[in-house]
Amino acid sequence: MTEDRFRALAEAYGADLRGWPPAERDAAQTFTEANRDLAGAILETERSLEAQLEAYIVEPSPALRQRVIDIAPRARAIARTWRWLATLGLGLGLAASAVAGAAAGFSFAPASVTRLIEGPPASSSDDIGMLADPTDDLVNG
Amino acid sequence: MTSGESETDDELVRRAGRGDAAAVQALVARKLRRVLALAERMLGDPAEAEDVAQETFFKVWRYAERWRPGAAKFDTWLHRVTLNLCYDRLRRRRERPTAEPPDAPDPGPAPDRGLLAADVGRRVNAALQALPPRQREAIVLCHYQDLGNIEAAELMKVSVEALESLLSRGRRALRQALADLASSD
Repeated sequence: MTEDRFRALAEAYGADLRGWPPAERDAAQTFTEANRDLAGAILETERSLEAQLEAYIVEPSPALRQRVIDIAPRARAIARTWRWLATLGLGLGLAASAVAGAAAGFSFAPASVTRLIEGPPASSSDDIGMLADPTDDLVNG
Repeated sequence: MTSGESETDDELVRRAGRGDAAAVQALVARKLRRVLALAERMLGDPAEAEDVAQETFFKVWRYAERWRPGAAKFDTWLHRVTLNLCYDRLRRRRERPTAEPPDAPDPGPAPDRGLLAADVGRRVNAALQALPPRQREAIVLCHYQDLGNIEAAELMKVSVEALESLLSRGRRALRQALADLASSD
């Protein structure tokens, strides 16, 4: 590892080599051992900045903690209500589709309705575990 | 079952989704500080950060029953929800330039009057808020939230090289902004 690269990594990731990209840690450690004074001076500059950054402490208040706990039942109730309404809406949609299909001489529901009733595929953005943008469904309390 | 520290996030989320009060409390104990710290350091406003923390947990409780372990790391999802809510607020600030901006963080007393840790904290907050948002985000994720470079880059939807550049520029600006504190140590 060159001095420039060591310096660039220190300036980006800080004084603690454990926070550096894993692929470069061994080389950085070797550089440190071979250039103790230089590496020490570079890391010390970063350590000084980090000591200042650590002074910015954030702690949640007991009141906030309680509010966050208290909203859990309401959030679950809203989620269940939405799911119930969605199921009801889909059921009504299917019934309407079946009636319309029968009137038109079809014996099956349109594929789009079948898909909706069966639920989205596993990779759908509605799957919380796969959400690409989990705040697409904004909650306003 | 207890809500011990050995329980995984996924297990706690699943139990919270079933309405288990102990799991709800355990998740809050484990994650609230992390969420609040991320929001406050991104927004620089404690009251707005509390709102974001509440909104984030509202989403957690709302989706917990449908959480699928393994599809995504819960902590990563939590960071993304919080960051998106922060960016919504930062965007609204930009779109409403006539609205009264949040109080500027107090830069604190001059160095020669001596600095308490809280004063340094206020100076750091002011310096962080003066950074461009993407530099601030990179520093908050990597330094304060302890995320690895790959995870932080994925969250920010940038390459690792771009993350490294954001970190370097951000830290350089912070070092300059806080230089007088270093000399007064």
